[in-house]
Amino acid sequence: MVGLSEGEQEFIKGGIAQDLRSDGRKRYTYRPIYVETGVIPQANGSARVRMGSTDVIASVKAELGRPSAMQPDKGKVAIFVDCSPTAEPTFEGRGGEELSAELSSALQHCLLGGKSGAGAGIDLSSLVVVEGKVCWDLYIDGLVISSDGNLLDALGAAIKAALSNTGIPSVHVAAEAASDEQPEVDISDEEFLQFDTSGVPVITTLTKVGKHYIVDATLEEESQMSSAVSISINRQGHICGMIKRGGVGLDPSVILDMISVANFVSRQLMDKLDSEIAAADADEDES
Amino acid sequence: MEFVSPEGLRLDGRRPTEMRQLRAEIGNVAKADGSAVFEMGNTKVIAAVYGPREVQNKSQQMSDQALVRCEYSMANFSTGDRMRKPKGDRRSTEISLVIRQTMEACILTHLMPRSQIDIFVQVLQADGGTRSACINAATLALQDAGIPMRDIVTSCSAGYLNSTPLLDLNYVEDSAGGPDVTVGLRLLSCGTYGYTLGPMD
Repeated sequence: MVGLSEGEQEFIKGGIAQDLRSDGRKRYTYRPIYVETGVIPQANGSARVRMGSTDVIASVKAELGRPSAMQPDKGKVAIFVDCSPTAEPTFEGRGGEELSAELSSALQHCLLGGKSGAGAGIDLSSLVVVEGKVCWDLYIDGLVISSDGNLLDALGAAIKAALSNTGIPSVHVAAEAASDEQPEVDISDEEFLQFDTSGVPVITTLTKVGKHYIVDATLEEESQMSSAVSISINRQGHICGMIKRGGVGLDPSVILDMISVANFVSRQLMDKLDSEIAAADADEDES
Repeated sequence: MEFVSPEGLRLDGRRPTEMRQLRAEIGNVAKADGSAVFEMGNTKVIAAVYGPREVQNKSQQMSDQALVRCEYSMANFSTGDRMRKPKGDRRSTEISLVIRQTMEACILTHLMPRSQIDIFVQVLQADGGTRSACINAATLALQDAGIPMRDIVTSCSAGYLNSTPLLDLNYVEDSAGGPDVTVGLRLLSCGTYGYTLGPMD
């Protein structure tokens, strides 16, 4: 990105302080969000989300695998993000690796819970086929095509939309197998079970510029941030994950205030996303 | 395995010299100087062009022409089986080189000395003919960026199965093991056609 002059920086900071950002938005307003589902027909589920100029695709692929020995009654989910050089020339070669790793781990943190598998936003026990032997492994891949800030929120939204679009094939288990053998499974091409996404949280990032926080920052606004807090909140209003970025310290009271703002904003985001996803699914069914 | 039925229809119902459905869109990536999405059947690629801009690595700067660079990468979910390594493998490096050489031949590089033009191609869905789709998308993206070119390059693949020449192979036909060729054509060169690449796999 081309560097910003002193004047431009002051313009951005001043606008945010006066609740009138460079593109006319208020501090807690999101850019127009467009959701398309089923963009990758080869995947079990996929979605593309655009927030302003930020454009991301998420795809979900399901493969059969073995559950881990420590959690035999749960399936496994892995999230990977790739930053395409089409978004930013600096992502060429290995340039985008650091950002990709940061986004992947932030998403895993927000959506998947702790090491024991507890507290995940996605219900892992619905992925098990034969306890201890066969389970579904979900590979969620995110691709950043165009970046204009707020990648984490866009990726979170895309993953939620892709999961709601995901159909897990029904599996018929053959007759009882011996306890140490892998049972034979027959994957149906016809029947699909829609994944239950009512518990999947949305991620809201609050970027602190000066004394105020804004939602859905553009790349320019992010360059002026002192710190940012990303909170994933589910439908019940419970926090599923929280990440703070930026070296500037925040007083604990500020963090509590940000959490209550995020709660309020995420409710609107969740409603908007749900209606967009429903509309996108309806479009997909028609076409 | 039968790739061409006795009635002369291929696996997806096409005739031997019929291409798949084409779709193109320009200007998707707002931040890039030029961008395009190109679809040939189920193969979908996106190309973005950044440039002409200042050379990042001064040692590669050329005083009499522009430096053209290209990177080809495939998304994790682009193929039927999930890919682990989006870029950096041999095939990606080879295709990056092929696209770069093809586009470099058409860009009027001498008009932009000491500058750099980056072409990034990302495969979103791969169903055969990714090389061709990338070249077509790159051509559109370069034109969207307003980069002076001496010609337009278009590309398509062809193969030979069941004793029939076939145009625009999809993944199943491509992996059948018969010979195949990808050809890039410059359209405006004095009315005659020349090829800028033709590896026989």
